[in-house]
Parts: sequence; C-alpha cells; structure tokens
Amino acid sequence: MRKRVLIASLLIAGLPLIAVSKQKQKESVKEEEVLAVLKSGLDQDPRFAPKLVQDESQKICSKYPSREAMPAKEIQRVMELEAKNIKYPQWGIYWGDWNEGKKLVNSSRGGRFASYGFSDKPTDKGGNCYACHLIEKGVPGGTMGPQLTGYGKRYGITKENMNTPEGLEKLKTVYNIIYNAWSLYPCSSMPRFGYHGALTPEDIINIATFLLHPDSPVNK
Amino acid sequence: MGKKAILLSAVLTSLLGAGFVGYKHAKAQDQELSPEEEIRLVQEFNRMLAEGINPGEIWAEMGKEAFKKYNLDKCDFGLGPGKIEGALAQLPRYFPDAKKVMDLETRIGWCLQQYAGMTPDQVKKFAKECWGKRQCMGEYDAIVMYISMASNGYKINVNLKDPQVKKMYEIGKRIYYTRLGPWDFNCATCHAGQKEARIRATRLWSADRPGEAGKAISIFPKYLVRWSQPMTMHYRYAECIRQMRWPTFEPHSDLAVALSTFLYATGNGTEIKVPGIGR
Repeated sequence: MRKRVLIASLLIAGLPLIAVSKQKQKESVKEEEVLAVLKSGLDQDPRFAPKLVQDESQKICSKYPSREAMPAKEIQRVMELEAKNIKYPQWGIYWGDWNEGKKLVNSSRGGRFASYGFSDKPTDKGGNCYACHLIEKGVPGGTMGPQLTGYGKRYGITKENMNTPEGLEKLKTVYNIIYNAWSLYPCSSMPRFGYHGALTPEDIINIATFLLHPDSPVNK
Repeated sequence: MGKKAILLSAVLTSLLGAGFVGYKHAKAQDQELSPEEEIRLVQEFNRMLAEGINPGEIWAEMGKEAFKKYNLDKCDFGLGPGKIEGALAQLPRYFPDAKKVMDLETRIGWCLQQYAGMTPDQVKKFAKECWGKRQCMGEYDAIVMYISMASNGYKINVNLKDPQVKKMYEIGKRIYYTRLGPWDFNCATCHAGQKEARIRATRLWSADRPGEAGKAISIFPKYLVRWSQPMTMHYRYAECIRQMRWPTFEPHSDLAVALSTFLYATGNGTEIKVPGIGR
C-alpha cells in the first residue's frame, strides 16, 4: 500500500516534469524547418539546388558558434572528413607560376552568381584573398584572417632549399590550407576553395607559389 | 520646411548631375571607386549630415505620395490602419489577418497585394526595381523610407513574448549560424565574435558585441554614397547573400522575416534613426 502511494506520488510529481520537457522540445526548432525557411528565401532555379546541399562538415559546423565551443570529438570528425577531401595536381606538388597566382589572389569576382544588375559572370574566378588577409606590403586588406606578408620568408623558404623535400613539404601544407582549410582548421571562416571547385588544383598551386616563392612580391 | 525642401532638391540635382558624369566612367555598379574618391564622397556626405541634410529624405517626400497612391493608408502595420508613427519599432510582429509573422517590408508587400491589386510577381518586381542600379528613384524604396522615418526617435521593441515571434527569432538565429553554399559562409562568418575584424577597409559589426546589431539595423533604410540611392533592409540582405555566394535572395520571404526578427530583437532598445548614411 505504502509502495503504491509512493509510486503514485512519484508519478504525479513527474507529470509536470514531462510536460515541461515536452514544451522544451516544441520550442527548439527542427533542423529541417530552419533549412526550409532558409531555402524558401533563395532563387529556386534547379541549377542552384546542388549548391545548397549541406555536407556533413557544414552540418557539424552549423551547430557551434565558434571552434572554441566545439567538443573535441566533433573537431576530430571534421578533420577526418576533410583530410580525405584533398586532390593534388596531376604532376604532384611542384612550384607553379606566382604571376598567375597573384591574379587569382587579387580578383574579388569569383563565385558570385546572384542575378541582378551586376557584371559578375559565372566563369569569373578568384579567391578574393584581400578581403580577409594582408598579403603584399602596402596593399590594403582585411584582418579577419592571419596576416600573410612575408609568408614564404617566415616559413624559411629560400632559393637554395625550395626544391628540397622539406621545401616542397611546406608548399604542400600551404596548398592543403587553400584547397581545404577545414582539414587543418575545422570550421574556419576560410572557404574550402579546392573542395568546392571554386579553384582548380593548378590555381591553388599558383596561389601557394605566390605566397611562398622567394621571387614573389609577397616576400620582398 | 519649405527652405529645407528647396535645399534638398538642390542637393539632389547636383547629385544626379555628378552621378551622370560618373556613370560614363563606371557603368557597372560594383566597379569600385578609387579610395581617394570614396573618402572625398564620404567626407562630403558627413558634412551634409552635420548640417542636417540627408539625401535619403528626398525619398520620404516621394514615399508620402506613393503611400496614398497605393492605398497603404488602409494597411495595418500593427498599430491600426494607416498608422505609421512608431510602426517600425514594433516590427516584426504576428499579423492574424495574414496568419504570419512579418517585418516591415514583407507587410508592405502583403498590403500592396491586398489594397493595390498587385500580384505577388508584381510586388517582387516593384521591390527589386532598384537592385543593382545607381541613382534609382523607386517608389518602393520611397514607401519604405517614408514609413521608416515615421518611427524616428522610437526604440526598437520586438515582442519576444509572443510565441510566434519567438519561434521566428529562433529560426533566424539558427539560420545566422548555418554554414551553406559553395564558399561555406554563414552570417556569423563576418558578423559574430568578440574579435574586431575588417573586410578590406570596412569594419564589421558583430551580433556578439553589445549594441552593435542595434546600431547597424536602426539606421535602415540607409543612404549609400557610392550608388546615390537608399538601400532597404531586404536589399541589404540580398547583397550579403550575393557576397556569400548563395543564390539570389527573394524579398518578403520567410528568410527575410526570420533574419529581421533575430536582428531587430537583438537590437531591442536601440533608437531608430532613419535614414542612415554610408559608403
């Protein structure tokens, strides 16, 4: 008898708790709903639909306001996923043409495809690097990303060591950052230029060369 | 008042004149001005602002006419039909007649359908008339300016106690952090965090630093020096989204309302000062 009373009182006490937790569930919005509202406000042209499919890393990164707020497990997961998402030029890692890289670094036109009034073309290509980085001395740039002036010098790259395995390894690291920043800095603000195909492997090797080559104005 | 109107129209005439000359040199709107030219323009407009002249006010004069022309005196912005004083300050809100949460521009769009006989497509075309242009004097921008200026001096007060509004706020907040598209951006890429940062020369406001979101949105529509025309909040969203490499933004969409609800509620308590002025 006593036991029954106890159970009954526990049940009664538990009811409001259940009600509260149900309400909480109701309040927090579902992911599908968020994405549905988001996509309802964008051009429905079916050609753009593939651009708006979230991959697993984007899904993970959307859950946290910053990397500091991410659990270690999630950070690791993104790094694992993205390490697989890197391709290299067909000839392997070798120095490219920094003049070509410079053009891509300077251009702010790449990748935009909204369709009103502007002169952007879908074929425009560029990294818009100056938006976030200071690169060549004296050229104004943003401060969202790290400063890259004298990048090759700071990496210790000289004419003598640039073709040694160590020199090429440094080139490869920078290539990896540009191709897929999230493989080294999960959920970074920097777009995964190579992974999304915004820049080709050849473009990226040229940009890495612009940043590191001893002859490039970045290192003068 | 008369004197001010004369002054304003004088300013406008010179603006359009100067703009026409400039147009020959830069046909595409997004062709950047030289930094020196930009600084000169901003200084000139700062001076105008100090003297109490903002070219954006010209749009309000025009908006007053257009407001009547499109029967918007029948439109209820939340305070009764045709009442616009303080209306912007309490938006977005839930409207039982439309069964939706709406921000100012979405509500204008809805009323244009109800009382001016426009189709949804006509409304969208009307709203986007000046997108991607310069020196464009559109009636839609004028209407938004006229209604917004009637809330000058009022403090933003979005009612988050309304569960419908609260839900839109939550959706807006989640959208703010959704990484999407071929360049992996979300709103927070640029407008969040404690660390101050610049995109090229522009200092970015952050939703995480107190007061900054309110300061940013309370001056919309904002007069833009480089295009010699005002920019409404929905056009601002469209521009952000274009830069984020997402597809073209649809004005008056739920996406717009969700973003407005999140941003205006974050700015609760900030005094509305329209039109703002910017580069």
